[in-house]
Amino acid sequence: MATPVIMPRQGQSVETCIMGEWNKKTGDQVKAGDILFSYETDKASFEEEAKEDGELLAIFYQEGDEVPVLSNVAVIGRKGEGVEEFRPGGVSASAQAAGSATDEQPASATMDVAAPESDQKPAGRRAEGKSPGEIRISPRAKLRAGQFGIPYEQVEGSGPHGRILARDVEAAAGTLPHLTTLAREKAEAEGLTPAKETTALGGRTGAADLVATNPVYGDDYEVKKLSNMRKLIARAMHQSLQNSAQLTHHMGADARQIMALRKRFKKKYEAGEISRNITINDLVCYAVIRALRKFPQVNTHFTGDSMRWFRKVHLGLAVDTDRGLMVPVVKNADDLSLEGLSGQLSSVAGQCRKGNVDPELLKPESASFTVSNLGNYGVEMFTPVINLPQTAILGVCAIVPRPADLGGGVYGFAPFMGLSLTYDHRALDGGEATLFLKEIKEQIENLSV
Amino acid sequence: MNNQFDLAIIGGGPAGYVAAERAGAKGLRVVIFDKRALGGVCLNEGCIPTKTLLNSAKVLETAREAALYGIHAGSVSADFEKIMKRKDKVVRKLVAGVGAKMKHAKAEVVMDEAVIKEKRGTVITITAGGKDYQATRLLICSGSEAAVPPIPGLDSRQVLTNREILRLKGLPKNLVIIGGGVIGSEFADFFHAMGTQVTVIEMLPEILNGVDEEIAAFVRGEFTRRGICYHLQAKVTRLNGKEVLFEKDGQVHSVTGDEVLLSVGRRPNVTGIGLENIGVEFSPRGIKIDPCCRTNIPNVYAAGDVTGFSLLAHTASREGEVAVNHMLGRKDVMRYHAIPSVVYTHPEIAGVGLTESAARAQGVDVEVRRLPMAYAGRFIAENEGKDGFCKVVVGKKYREILGVHLVGGACSEMIWGACGLIEAQLRVQDAQEIVFPHPTVSEIIRETVFQFDV
Repeated sequence: MATPVIMPRQGQSVETCIMGEWNKKTGDQVKAGDILFSYETDKASFEEEAKEDGELLAIFYQEGDEVPVLSNVAVIGRKGEGVEEFRPGGVSASAQAAGSATDEQPASATMDVAAPESDQKPAGRRAEGKSPGEIRISPRAKLRAGQFGIPYEQVEGSGPHGRILARDVEAAAGTLPHLTTLAREKAEAEGLTPAKETTALGGRTGAADLVATNPVYGDDYEVKKLSNMRKLIARAMHQSLQNSAQLTHHMGADARQIMALRKRFKKKYEAGEISRNITINDLVCYAVIRALRKFPQVNTHFTGDSMRWFRKVHLGLAVDTDRGLMVPVVKNADDLSLEGLSGQLSSVAGQCRKGNVDPELLKPESASFTVSNLGNYGVEMFTPVINLPQTAILGVCAIVPRPADLGGGVYGFAPFMGLSLTYDHRALDGGEATLFLKEIKEQIENLSV
Repeated sequence: MNNQFDLAIIGGGPAGYVAAERAGAKGLRVVIFDKRALGGVCLNEGCIPTKTLLNSAKVLETAREAALYGIHAGSVSADFEKIMKRKDKVVRKLVAGVGAKMKHAKAEVVMDEAVIKEKRGTVITITAGGKDYQATRLLICSGSEAAVPPIPGLDSRQVLTNREILRLKGLPKNLVIIGGGVIGSEFADFFHAMGTQVTVIEMLPEILNGVDEEIAAFVRGEFTRRGICYHLQAKVTRLNGKEVLFEKDGQVHSVTGDEVLLSVGRRPNVTGIGLENIGVEFSPRGIKIDPCCRTNIPNVYAAGDVTGFSLLAHTASREGEVAVNHMLGRKDVMRYHAIPSVVYTHPEIAGVGLTESAARAQGVDVEVRRLPMAYAGRFIAENEGKDGFCKVVVGKKYREILGVHLVGGACSEMIWGACGLIEAQLRVQDAQEIVFPHPTVSEIIRETVFQFDV
């Protein structure tokens, strides 16, 4: 009577083992005590002896297969005895390896042909396109990789389903970059993996060559550290949106008056009657200051459980520079004439672009209200972000032609300037904010200097 | 002999001639140009001549202190003319040596000023001495010159740089040195040892910018004790011939020397070599290179002082090697975190890696330990009445060695070991496994490493 050869259970917690090399093949005569095969658990490898004499009639698992403990792995008996009753699970090992499950099995004599896949894949090649979760590796291979100090994610596995085996790691050890002891310690402590590019001594993977994500996917970008200015802006913007209840109202103001004023001032400037070329932005800011004097509740800072009501208008202006956004303030802007305001706005914007502005003027606490003008860029409507602790910010948009009632039942196109007011609802209610925005609109539409 | 080469090298200094050696050894056909002399500034007007002079000063110092060691040396004096002649002899010998290396590498040497003419497809044309040379690769190592700042009244015929001071025929009685960096400090040491009255004018609060501040202060203290006069935080405002006017603490001072040495830094030679003709990206600060020493133009590389980063001969040589390795398809990349720097004054200064202050400035969390040289037995045996110390800088989290800085004795010869520790990214516990010879002064490094908790 044929007897099965069973995969032993080495230890209470071991559920499966990896089949190692077979010392005998089907048809061989074996004697009790002959080594049949080796196998490994995550702690060690073992060799299994034949328990009796006979002929090795069938082998159910090939090298590299994962075998549940106490399964039948082979049959020893006399030639011609049946082996099917011992076959585990009805699915053969070679069928598993070939990736197809069939119930009909070929005769036992053909069973010891190694699965095509494990023969063809040369061990030690770099594996492409696997994420850390997808990598299958035997515990012993992982151990060997750690001993060699090489990144096992980059080893091509020759086991079933691409499983990385100890022999694959050993073959790869010669070709893959080693980690320095520092890099190994850091990688383990911070959960990092080696990048493809190595820059340490002798092509080793150094501490600087570790990345947080799978290096295979990380090739198509360049990591650029943020400048200090960028970090500050990022923090301020995020904090503003996180720590307030801001929303934006949009309105259009008829721009005919302001455009006529601009034309007039341009003529005066060209004739030498005034010292400055007054811009649309200057005129809008002038109008905003007037509106703020009528709505002191907007000219405020919100400080959690109280508000600072400013007695003067300190107007902040958003300025775009090479290094990033800067918002300098013109203090006591309500004391200035239109020309004075124009001069101050231009001067402080120039200082920002040059890089020599007084840092005190850049603090958001220095201004009581900010204007951000994107009209030159063609923006028609936007949602500016408040410079906390200020209460609101006015976005000035491009002038676009819109249909308007020209009076007497005549409709035509008139130039309209978009106004986008973002306000903090913790400080102001919608009604107030809208009335303020309406005031700005009216100041602009009826501006006279 | 046709004029087609695999590699053209402009500049025969430590970057150029080392690159030529490496390329020649791998069978590349090399042509190397230099308008002055093989060996470049290092061999002819820098490293080698100054070290030769400083050695004479060291022998003088040892002879003068012989009694401390139980030796009676009688009266000892320095012969300036002989010292300078010996320096010339050493330089000639080494320049000839480089010539021999070029022969061995089968590199063609052209002693003419080279200008890059054009690049058509893969062929780069260089013009030198009226002839055209063509190569498929170009390595630019045109080096640097002493920087001459626009100080009002500065007459370059009356003021010396390192080049002219090394050709002095007679010993000056008084020497004013503008710039207390490495070059200025080494000349201060040598001329003072010869008997010259030396005054050093330095713009920054401390001399030897870049060296660990404690070490710089220690050396300045020693030099001051010997009689060298220092003016720190002093800005030179004007020169009247050899009278130097400088501003310090809001007041204007004046000092006059028989000679004035200008040693305020070096400027990369990026003009007049035709970089614009092929579009190589550069600025007054140097030619821009990537970690493989490539410029923005394919097959055009740059190495050495002309890249404006680490103005040291050994960095130049390594950059040249990285460039040649890249040309040969060998994986290599330039690293700058373990470049040793040595000041050959007496006491010597040798350091590699991060100083304590540089680490803090970069936001790197470090621990520092410091031991006096007295902990090394051999230092006591051989340096009667002298002092020094060793500082080791270590990363706080992983205990990796980030910097080693020494002052005292002949520490220049042992710093390379510390470069190895840093390049291999050894942690304190790894370095503690290395056996140092006993008794040597180098053991001070081991002693300091053992001061850290592991």
